[in-house]
Order: sequence, then C-alpha cells, then structure tokens
Amino acid sequence: MIGTIIQKELTELSRDGRAIGLLGIVSLLLVLGLVTGFATESAREQDILQAQEDDSSVFLEQGVKNPHSAAHFSRMAHKPIAPLASFDPGVASYMGQVIWLEAHYRNPAMFRAAEDAPELSRLENFSVAGVLTLILPLLIILTGYGSIASERERGTLRQLVGSGTSLKDLLLGKFAVIAGIAFAVLALVVILVTGFSALSLTESGYTASDIVLRGLSLLLVYGLYIAGLAALTLLVSMLVREAKTALLVMLGVWVVAVVGLPRLSANIAEQVYPSPDAGTFWEDTRASLQANRPGSESAEYLAVEREVIERALGRDLRADELDDLPINSAAVRLEVSEVIDAEAFNASYAELFENYEKQKQLRRVLSIFSPTIALQHLSRAYSGTDVSAHEHFSIEAERQRNTIVRIMNEDMMINGVGQSFGYVAPAEFWEAVPEFSYQPSTVTLAWNESVIDLLILFCWGLAATVAVFWFGTNRVRI
Amino acid sequence: MSELLRAQELTKVFRSNTALNALNLTVNSSEIVCLLGANGAGKTTTINLFLGFLEPTSGSALVGGVEVSEDLQGARSNLGYVPEQVSLYPSLTGLENLDYFVRLSSNKQPDETYLRDLLKQVGLEQGAVDKKVDGYSKGMRQKVGLAIALAKGAKALLLDEPLSGLDPKAANEFCQLLRNLANDGTAVLMATHDLFRAKEIADRIGIMKAGVLVEELRPETLDQAALEQIYLRHMHDDAPVEEAH
Repeated sequence: MIGTIIQKELTELSRDGRAIGLLGIVSLLLVLGLVTGFATESAREQDILQAQEDDSSVFLEQGVKNPHSAAHFSRMAHKPIAPLASFDPGVASYMGQVIWLEAHYRNPAMFRAAEDAPELSRLENFSVAGVLTLILPLLIILTGYGSIASERERGTLRQLVGSGTSLKDLLLGKFAVIAGIAFAVLALVVILVTGFSALSLTESGYTASDIVLRGLSLLLVYGLYIAGLAALTLLVSMLVREAKTALLVMLGVWVVAVVGLPRLSANIAEQVYPSPDAGTFWEDTRASLQANRPGSESAEYLAVEREVIERALGRDLRADELDDLPINSAAVRLEVSEVIDAEAFNASYAELFENYEKQKQLRRVLSIFSPTIALQHLSRAYSGTDVSAHEHFSIEAERQRNTIVRIMNEDMMINGVGQSFGYVAPAEFWEAVPEFSYQPSTVTLAWNESVIDLLILFCWGLAATVAVFWFGTNRVRI
Repeated sequence: MSELLRAQELTKVFRSNTALNALNLTVNSSEIVCLLGANGAGKTTTINLFLGFLEPTSGSALVGGVEVSEDLQGARSNLGYVPEQVSLYPSLTGLENLDYFVRLSSNKQPDETYLRDLLKQVGLEQGAVDKKVDGYSKGMRQKVGLAIALAKGAKALLLDEPLSGLDPKAANEFCQLLRNLANDGTAVLMATHDLFRAKEIADRIGIMKAGVLVEELRPETLDQAALEQIYLRHMHDDAPVEEAH
C-alpha cells in the first residue's frame, strides 16, 4: 500500500511544474556550492602546499646562524584543509590557517581567509552545507505543506479513508516521498563530496576511511534533520484546516528556526560570553606570563633549570655539578623561560577555547528551539571545520614550536659553551629539526564531542515523527 | 438476506444541535434503502457515522456485524462510499485515479482491462479515461467515484447524493447498476433528494426530518404522487415529530 502511495505522489510531483522547478533550483544551488567549494578549497590547498615547500626550503637554506635567531625566524605550521571543507567550510576561514612557531610566543593562527576575501568571494559562504541547511528545508516545506491539508480541502482524504485506506500508511507514504526526495538530493551530494575527497587525498594527514566515516556521519545527521522537518511539515499540514495556512506556518517555522535562531543564537552567545579581541587577549596573556614567572633564585626556577639541563645532556645531574657545568647559560635561561612561559600560554589559550566552548554550549541550549543549530554544530564537527578541530591543530602546532625551540636552545647550550649569543650553528644543523607532521583529529573526536548535539537532533526528529503518527492515527480531522 | 448495515439508537449531538436522534435502521444484503429529507435532516450524518468519520454520541453503527467504533478498519473494509462531490486527483487521469483508489482500498494490483471495463460500465466516455481529471465535469467525476466504489467489491455501499450532477441517461444507468449490484447481494444505503429515482430503485424509503427517521415506506405500495405528498407533508409539517409517526 505504501508503495502505491509513493508511486502516486511521485507521479503527481513529476507532473507539477512547480515541484520540478524548485528541485531544479535547489540542485543548481548545490552544484554552485560544490563547484565553488571544491575550487576554493583546492586553491587554498595548493597555496598551503606551496607555502610549506617555500617555508621548508627557506629554513633549511638559512646557512650558518645563531640557533636562537633561527628560533625567532623559525617555521610556519600550516593547517591542512579538511577534506570535507568543500562541503562545510565551518569556522575554518575565521580561525586562521597558519601558525608562526616563534621562540617566546605562542602566536594565534593567521591568514584568516574570511578577512582577506574580496566581496565576490563571499559567495563561498554559499556552501553545500549552507544550501542543505537553509534551502533544502524549503524544498521539504513546499513539497509537503499540502500533503494532508490539500487532500482534506479537495475531499480526497475523506474518500481515501472512507474506502478503507489506513491513515497511518497514507502518512508513511507521504513522509517517505517528502523526506525521500530531500534525502536523495542529500545522498547524491554527500557521496559526490566524500568520494571526490577520498579519491583526491593529498598529504594532509587525513585517511580515506576517516573521510568515508565523516561522510556517513554527515549523511546520518542531515538525514535526521530532513526526517524531522518532513515530519513537522506533515504534522502542520495535518493539524491546520487549509493548505495555505500550512504553508504560512511552515514558512514561519523556516524563518524562525532555520534562518533566525541560528544567527540570533550566535549573537546571544557572543554577548553572554564575549570573545576577547586580539589586544585584550595579549594584554591578559602578558599579565599572566609576568605573574607566572618565578624569580631566578627561586626553588621553582632552579628546579626547571635542572630539568632543562638534564634533558639537554640526556642524563641526571649530580647535586654539586650544576655550578661548574660547561654549558651556554644564556641558552639555559632561554629554555627555562620557554618551559615556564609555555604553561601560561597554554592556560591562556585553554581559557580562550573554553570560552568558545561556552558559546557553543549556550547555542546548544537554544538548539532546543531550532534543530538547525544542532545540525550546524554536527556538520562542522564531522567536516573537521569546527573550533575543536582548530584547537587540536593549535595544540599540535604548539607542541611542534616547543620541540623546535628546544632543539635550537639545546644545540646552543651544548655546542655554544662560552659563546653566549655569539654561537652560530652549522648550515646542515637545520636538517636536524623535524618537519611538522600534523595528524588531524579523527572523526572519533568529532563523535565524542558532539554526542549532545546528535541527541538533540535525534530528539527533534523523533518528537516530530511520533507526533505526526500519533496525531495522524488519533486526532486527525477528516 | 443477511443484515449488513445496522443503526441502533444511533445519536449524534453537535454541541446543542441533535443532528441524529436515536436512529434505528437496518439495510440487508440485496436491499436498496434511500434516505430522503431536506438539508440538515441527518442523512449525511448517518452515512458519516457508518463510515466512522464521526463518533456517535450514543448508540451504535454496525457494518456486517462489526461495530464501527470498535473496529473501524474492519467495518470500512466492507464499505464502498460515493460522496456528493467525488474528489479525485486533478493531475492524474481517470484511469490512474481509479487504479490508485482500488489499490489502496483492496491492497491488490488491479488489472487495467478490468478497470477500463468498470469505467465503461459506469458510462465514462472512452476518450476521457486517459485524460487528466482536471478537465472532468462533475458528472464525469461522479462516474469515476462510482467505479471506485464498485471496484472494491464492497458488501455495502453508502451513497451520499450520488445522482447529483448526473445527466438523465447516466442517472438511469447508474440506478440500473445499483439494482444489479443489489441483486448480486450488495446492501445499498443512499441519501438523495431525488424522489423519482428513490421510488424507482429503492426497496425501502426512509424520510428524515431534524435528525429523526419520521417514516419508513415501501415504494411498491405507493405511486409517485403519493410519495411526493407524504414527503411534502413531513417537510411542511410543523407539528412535533412524534405526532408525525
């Protein structure tokens, strides 16, 4: 019976020029999103590969130089483009692409694509995820608002039910068609993006299996979103008297829940937990660094000093050995300050990312009223373009900075005895510094961090589906 | 003759308005019962109660011995229904509409030749069968509606003003079809304003007024003029209903 209903609904839709036109528009927008997404992310990836190559050759060919000068000059850590960024660019464009791994400073990421973009490039915000989140609901609403209301207005609902058709089967068939069309569009897009990304993997650290799992996760959450919206559209169509009222109500839902609340929630979150501007952040960080620095005669300082030297020498020091040790004391001081300051830097950045997390949690609360917010969180997380993915990169880059600076300082400590800052390392020394080999976070991290968003989206979908079938079998007006 | 439709003290009250008041009525297999009455007399309410579109305030409606309020789907599976305004899907053809309704009501894949024969049987022009219903006249829709009810092979037919909009020839053919169906064992309950057709095909005629079945007649005992007189007397009678019995 359900198959018959689906077949008839599809026949009707195929003969309705408006539905075909709308499907065409949505498809066109998705193609546009796909093309611009791939083009933009491919161009960025090429830029990154080129910049990495340039950075490497400049570092390796810097010749004889004082290691501390080289540590200031240092390296750049390039964040690889997430393979599914062409699906959902998320916040990647706003968080920065490159971190300068400089001695003494844990720098924030720079080269925020969003800041550099000319006006026309704003089109890239019209991403596949954007179209699926904002425009696909319109397709669902416009194909589904009349599902029951029009049948009732026309009198066919009465005729169908009167001839013994199960209302539950009727609802199921209509639900399958409304959600099925949207899901077919979604599946095609996700398969295209995932397949292309998995097949065109570069040395970004991502694996094909991780990309496929991310693609499947996206399919699941967007599928839930589609199911929830289709059920809600059916529910409204069933509860109101006329189809035009159903359309108005659902357009209202779209404006509030899909367009308005996600934007409003971001503003509210920013108001409640304001992100510090760069000036304030550095001012606070500097104050924190000052407060965290112990006096050079303090036990804490001396303990770090001993630890730094022992690590450089690769052995434990005897109690009386420290004073007569042949070592470059300027380099020791540099490394001690690095170790001590790293703690304060990490605390400052942890606080910054915690603030972003608080903003996210507040938006999560508001997603009770708008499943779009939960979907945005999930979409970015599974695409690897959310704040957590950036934080993962930022922490790994800092680890690399610590490694580079330590290697420089230790070389100066051991090989520059008695030369203070006059020591220069040989030209081949720079090859001893390991390349930044970043392993991006896997989808498991995204899964773990977005359980609540998934639960909220699931509850939305479940509540709408249960409501539509409960009302459909108990309360529907024939 | 088995009893296929039965109303027992069937009552429906909408707020303060009693649309149907303690109706007792049976329709047996092979029997055609016509309900006559003005608008608001309770004819459509009776049909709606048998179909389960309304819940009775008291009393019960039974279809083939199944109480509608207890087993709605079971009761509906025995029913065919032709409303006053047959509603069809405008973007589908007459044949596609029939095919859809038959599949849903019988859960079977009907043979196309059988469906075409049915449409021919109800008098739908052959040229219209494969045209979209969008351009159908009311009479053509009625014919498709009847074909839908016939195709289901229901034990009992509920017809709500089915002759409305049919041309005399089609109405005549329609009545003949009903007679044939009744002869084959189908029970027919038809609400109508058409005294002439009711007299022609009914085995019994019920006259309803203000939710009450005020008189039951056997048409073979009266001529057309007598039926009209009785009907008009009830329609213009301002005396309390009880006195009219």
